[in-house]
Amino acid sequence: MGLSDGDIMRYEEWNKISRIASRKSLWMLHFCTGCGAVELPPVMTSRYDMERFGMGPMATPRQADVLLITGYLTVKTLKRVVNVYEQMQSPKYVISFGSCPINGGMYWDSYNTVKRLDRYLPVDVYVGGCMPRPEGVMNAFLELMKLIDEGKARGWEKYQKYYEQYKRNQKMAFGFERGKNEGD
Amino acid sequence: MKEYELFIGPQHPGVTGNMMYHLWVDGDTVTKAECNVGYLHRGFEKLMESRNWMQNVPLVCRICVPEPDVNEMAYAMAVEQLMDWEIPERAKYIRVVILELARIAAYLMSIGSYAGSLGIYTLPQWALGDRDYFLDIFEQLTGARVYHIYIWPGGVRWDMPEKLPGLIEKTLSYTEKRLKLYDDVLFKNRIFFDRAVGIGKIPRGKAIEWGVTGPNLRACGYGYDIRKLEPYAVYDDMDFEVIKYPELGDFDVLSDGCDAYTRMIVRRLEIEQSISIVRQALEKMPEGEHIIKHPNWLKWKVPPGYAFKRVESSKGEYGYFVVSDGSSKPVRIHVRGPSYTHGVNVAETILKGANMADVSQILFSLDVCPPDIER
Amino acid sequence: MKAIEIIGKGEEMHGRAYIPSGREEAGTIIKKLKENGFAHFVMLSCVDWIDKNEFELVYHMWSYEHKEHAMISVRLPRDNPSMFSMHELFPQIETYEREIHEMYGIDFEGNSRLTPFLLEGWHDTPPMRKDFDSKKFAEDVFDSIPEIKEEEDEGI
Repeated sequence: MGLSDGDIMRYEEWNKISRIASRKSLWMLHFCTGCGAVELPPVMTSRYDMERFGMGPMATPRQADVLLITGYLTVKTLKRVVNVYEQMQSPKYVISFGSCPINGGMYWDSYNTVKRLDRYLPVDVYVGGCMPRPEGVMNAFLELMKLIDEGKARGWEKYQKYYEQYKRNQKMAFGFERGKNEGD
Repeated sequence: MKEYELFIGPQHPGVTGNMMYHLWVDGDTVTKAECNVGYLHRGFEKLMESRNWMQNVPLVCRICVPEPDVNEMAYAMAVEQLMDWEIPERAKYIRVVILELARIAAYLMSIGSYAGSLGIYTLPQWALGDRDYFLDIFEQLTGARVYHIYIWPGGVRWDMPEKLPGLIEKTLSYTEKRLKLYDDVLFKNRIFFDRAVGIGKIPRGKAIEWGVTGPNLRACGYGYDIRKLEPYAVYDDMDFEVIKYPELGDFDVLSDGCDAYTRMIVRRLEIEQSISIVRQALEKMPEGEHIIKHPNWLKWKVPPGYAFKRVESSKGEYGYFVVSDGSSKPVRIHVRGPSYTHGVNVAETILKGANMADVSQILFSLDVCPPDIER
Repeated sequence: MKAIEIIGKGEEMHGRAYIPSGREEAGTIIKKLKENGFAHFVMLSCVDWIDKNEFELVYHMWSYEHKEHAMISVRLPRDNPSMFSMHELFPQIETYEREIHEMYGIDFEGNSRLTPFLLEGWHDTPPMRKDFDSKKFAEDVFDSIPEIKEEEDEGI
């Protein structure tokens, strides 16, 4: 029983409808990982109001769609963020704020912060600035919705495909390969 | 009943930032609590030792995120003490204005987050929306909403524009009208009284030994405010009263310590105190220079010595200990944040015996901010 | 200054009292100041003087009555440094000693809670010492992590 042309057409239309439903109701996870989180309350409350686009906060990762990495990440937080990312259900997206996840930012010579985020997690949209303004944050959300509509936001598939490379990079950052850690 | 171990973990809407509390629970009561921080540790003090004295100024304001101006002020004052500089009068008045505006913005955020932890979700929407008008004032004055980099050692970066006092007065009178609405929703609400009285008590006799400072200490009945004890900038010229033993409405308060109720009432009354200080400073501001004649920032060397300066912030007492040996880079800068004592030792002691549903409320009423603890 | 009167030695530095003390008498000095009005313990800092081969611990105290700030300074040798713990006098000293133990490697006798405070799984030299190079560490560890190599896409 193969797929006829009619079946493939209905599969494509169903994907398009499910993408429209997905981009109009993105729920973001409530996790303030760094100092960029101080520009998130103006976006969530009445001045810039992201709820008119369907975005709202969600407390548990099992029911959230978007993970916001607001600013720099330390090694201790990266362990928990990877845990949380793997608990979220597909399709899932990652937006990173600020200049610290891009190339290190202000803390480029620190012994405890992680310099480039896309070697550990797949990132869909970057926002520049230190802090990024609320208008920039809203722009990033709209850009993500546009990418979902076109079918180009595929970070979670990349994570599944290159899983060994991501895990190897994470272990190198946590210190397992330096041979002195017994697994914290 | 069996004892359970729980983690109120880094990803949780009930903690005030990225930190973790490890609790042991018997039924509904907490028997032991341990604080676990380190999720935001960037190694500031190590980074500051490999940069110039002037290159540290943009780095210093990123330690406390809701109120970054107190850090710039304390660093500038400590360096000025080592250099023996006397800054112009107009710069001191401008510094008072910007510090008090930042204090009001931080109090609005703290009151809004506290109400969110009780479940009264109207107040965060109002308070964080009103705080945005203060960020507009900062944008007109300094160019940025959150990190200003405006208070430099030697003065302030540029002069105040002419139309700014009008905008400040408009924002302050709008905020005064809105405070009456906040009273109706939260502070005169019977639910707030029933949920907050008697929760998270700090006994009066032990408060100073435990290292409590700021509005938490004033709620215990001590009238200690650094702006009166060791005045800096032009606070000795301003006319204001220190707030302690507060009473609002017809509710009784404790007299042998503080609890969540009195701590939040002190914060509410200090917003009005700050509004009056800003108005006095704008009236009395003289003409003059805004910064002294400064040396070449790239070749600047600071004479050797030890300096310690403290500043009153909305969370407590901020202190900077600066050590120099005469070269162009500091030897040691040590930052004392108020949440170092509030969040670790005081919280671990008063969470014992508390109800599980009140843990979040206690942490928000102490105003614990994790970047202070771990810099 | 009142603190110098109470203890009997020290000098004034920019309006603060600076009292140098030996290793054994620091406990008695701090207890005497606590009983005479210096009720607020501000913080405990550590300075690394690598040229003179010693560490300097500075105890800061503040008095609300006399409105004075006192700094008590103790010098320790750089190899195998250790000091007595004072957490029975003020409970928050336990946290300061824990952080100094982790960041500088100084041992405090009598403190039973010297577990890691800020760093997790750290086995190198204590990071705040002057012979630890943070920039080189960041380059060796973090910049050497390779990028994700993507294969040619066959078309999904």
